[in-house]
Amino acid sequence: MIEEKGVWNRLRTRLLFTGPTLFAFITVMIIPFLYGIYLTFTNWDGISTTLSLVGVQNYLAVFRDIEFWKSFSLTLKYVFYTVVLINVIAFMLAYVLTKGLKGQSIFRAGFFLPNLVGGIVLGFIWQFIFNNVLVYLGQHASIQSLSTTWLADPDKAFWALVIVTVWQNAGYMMVIYIAGLTGVPNDIMEAASIDGANSWTRLRKMVLPLMVPSFIVCIFLSLQRGFMVYDVNLALTKGGPFSSTQMVSMHVYEKAFLSRDYGVGQAEAFVLFLMVALITLLQVYFSKKLEVEA
Amino acid sequence: MRKFKRVQWMVMLLLLVMVVSACSGSGGEGNSASGGGSGDSKNVKITLLNSKGEILPQLEEAAKAFQKDNPGITVEIQPVPTGGSPFERASALYASGNPPTMIMLDTGDVEKFKDRILDLSGEKWNADTVESATNATTVDGKNYAFPLAVEGYGFIYNKAVVDKAVGGSFDPTTIKTRNDLEKLFQQIETSGKKALVISSMDWSLGAHYLPLAYAGQNKDMAEVDKFMASLKAGQADLANNPVFNGLMDTFDVMMKYNIDQASPLAGTYERGPELLGKGEVGIWFMGNWAWPQINSFDTANKEYGFLPVPISNNADDYGNQEISSAVSKRIVIDKEKATPEQQEAAKKFLNWIVYEEKGQDFLVNQANIIPAFKNITLPAADPLGKSIQDYIAKGKSEQSMSMLPADHWSKTGSSMQKYLAKQGDRATLVKEIENYWKTVK
Repeated sequence: MIEEKGVWNRLRTRLLFTGPTLFAFITVMIIPFLYGIYLTFTNWDGISTTLSLVGVQNYLAVFRDIEFWKSFSLTLKYVFYTVVLINVIAFMLAYVLTKGLKGQSIFRAGFFLPNLVGGIVLGFIWQFIFNNVLVYLGQHASIQSLSTTWLADPDKAFWALVIVTVWQNAGYMMVIYIAGLTGVPNDIMEAASIDGANSWTRLRKMVLPLMVPSFIVCIFLSLQRGFMVYDVNLALTKGGPFSSTQMVSMHVYEKAFLSRDYGVGQAEAFVLFLMVALITLLQVYFSKKLEVEA
Repeated sequence: MRKFKRVQWMVMLLLLVMVVSACSGSGGEGNSASGGGSGDSKNVKITLLNSKGEILPQLEEAAKAFQKDNPGITVEIQPVPTGGSPFERASALYASGNPPTMIMLDTGDVEKFKDRILDLSGEKWNADTVESATNATTVDGKNYAFPLAVEGYGFIYNKAVVDKAVGGSFDPTTIKTRNDLEKLFQQIETSGKKALVISSMDWSLGAHYLPLAYAGQNKDMAEVDKFMASLKAGQADLANNPVFNGLMDTFDVMMKYNIDQASPLAGTYERGPELLGKGEVGIWFMGNWAWPQINSFDTANKEYGFLPVPISNNADDYGNQEISSAVSKRIVIDKEKATPEQQEAAKKFLNWIVYEEKGQDFLVNQANIIPAFKNITLPAADPLGKSIQDYIAKGKSEQSMSMLPADHWSKTGSSMQKYLAKQGDRATLVKEIENYWKTVK
C-alpha cells in the first residue's frame, strides 16, 4: 500500500519500484512494437534509407497472399494435433509419475530433458534420426513405411514435425501437471475413497476439475508455442519438401527477409499476433469458467 | 522519515544513472568498434563480413598477410552464420548501427544497399575486370561493388568413371546433344556404376538449373532481358517455349538415371560430393565451389571437369556447348559509419588482392577462386576452376542469371522439387513458375 500523501510523493514511490522495469519494458517491448506497426504502413525493404507510406496496401496484400493462408491453415492443423497430444501425454505421464513409482524422479527428469535442448539442435538430431537411423532400421527389418525418409513426403514430414514437437514439449507440461496433481488436497481424495468412489471416478469427478488451472496454463502454453513454432520447423524440414510443411512463422520470416517485402511481412506478423492473441484469450476466458473450488 | 526520503531519492538517482550509463556505454562501444580508434591515424581497424563460408580460414590467413604488408591496418573477418543470407546479416548490422567496413554480398543484393555504400567507380581495378563483370552492380553509371569471384556450374564428371564407361579417354566435347548425354548415362550404367545424382536442394534446382531456361533463350543478354520482362508481365508462354521444354526434357532423362530415384528428395548436399568423389556415380549437377568437398573424397586422381547441360538434339543450338558462369560474390564498402581512413584501408585491401602477388596467391591458389580480373594470369588451382576457365577462354560460356528476385530460388525451387518427386507434371510446373513471376514486384 502506498501511504504517502500527495500525488508527487505517490508517483515517486511508484517510480522507485516499478520505474526500472517499466523503462525496460517500454524501450524493448512497447516502442519496437509500435514502430513495427508503423512499418506495416510503409514500403520499406529492410535496408534502403528512404521509405514512403503506402496506407493499408500491405494489409490488403496479406489477404491476397494465398501462401500465407495456406501456411496458416497448416499451422492450425499442427496446433490442433500438438495441443491435444502434448496435453494428453503430459497428463498421463504426470499421473503415472505421482503414483510413487520406484525411481520416478529419474523418469521425471528424463521426460523433461528434451525441453532443455534448443529447437535447432533438436531439429538436426531428429533430422538425422528420420533420414538415417529409421531408414536403416526400415530397410534392414523390411518395414515398408520406414524404408524411405519421412522428411521427403509431405504428409509424413508433417507428422514428423508433430512427433518431435510433442516429444519436446510433453515433459515441460508434465512438470506443470505434476505440480497441479500434488496440489490436489489429500483429505478430499481420502473422503472420496471412503465414500466408495473408485479410482476412475476419483480422477473424473475430483482430480480433473481441481486441475483446471493447470490445464489452462498448459493449453495456453502449448497453443502459443504451436502457433509460434519456427526453430524445429527450420531445422527439421526447412519447410520442405516443396514448402508443404511451411508453418506461418516461417512464411512471415521469409516474406520479410527473403522476398525483401518487409512491410507485407510485418503486416502478416501483426495479423498473426492479433489472431493468436484472440485465440489464446478466448481459451483462457472460457476455461476459467470451468474452475472449481476445492 | 525525512532521512528515509533522502535515501529513496538517492536510490532512484543511482538507478537512473545506471540505466542511462548502460545505454550510453553500449553506444560508445559501438562507435569505437566501427570507428576503430579513428583518432589515431596510425592504427586503422577494418572489418569484412564474409559470406563465402568455405574460404573463411583462407581469408583469415590473407588478412594476416595483408597486415604484415601494411602495418597499422588490422583486418578482422566476420562470418555470416551458416544458413543465414549476407543480405539479412548486413541489414541486421546496419539496423544495429554497427555495420562492417566491407561486406561480401551476392550480386542481386548490391543495388539495395546503394544509398549506404561507397561509389567505387574511381578505383583502378575497374579497368582490369573481365568482360561485363561490373554491369550488374552499376547503377546510374556508378559501380558500387568489387567483383570477387567467377563461378560456374554444369554437370561435373568423374573422369575415372566416364573413362571406364566409354572405354578410353573421355572427351567432353563429344557431348553436344541430349542423345549424346543419354548415351553416356547408359554407358556408365553398363559399366556397373550409377549414372548421376540429382541434389534436390531448392537452391540448386531453383537458382541454378531452372535459370538455364532463361539464360538459354538467346545469346544476346538484351533479348534475355526482354524475355524476363515478358515473363514478369505474364505474357511469356513457357508451356510452348522450346528452350524451357528442352531443358525439362533433359531433366526427365536425368530423373530416369538418378541414383536416388526411389526417394528423390531424400538426398542432401553432402551426399553429392561423396558419391561423385568415390566414383559411385559418374556425374553430378553442381558448380566449381564444390571442389573442396569433392577433393576430400577424391578417388579419380583429381581429374574432374564440366559438361554443359544440353537442351536439344541439335548440336548447334545455343546452350548445348556452353557452361553457365558469372561473377558471383561482390565486396562493397560502407560509407555511413566507416571513417575516411577505414574507407582508404578497405580500398587498399581490395587493390592488394588484385595487384599484389600475395593477394593473387590467396585468391587463386589458397581460396580456389576464379578471379574476375584479366591481369591475374595465374591458372586456376583446381580441376573444376580450370575447366570453367577453359570454357570461358574458348568463348563457350553463358551468363548465369545473377539478378533474379531474392525469393526466386526458394519458390521455383520448391516447384522443381515437386516435379522431381513426381507430385506434379510439367503443366503444374509451368503454372507455378508463371504464377510466381506474376507476384514479383
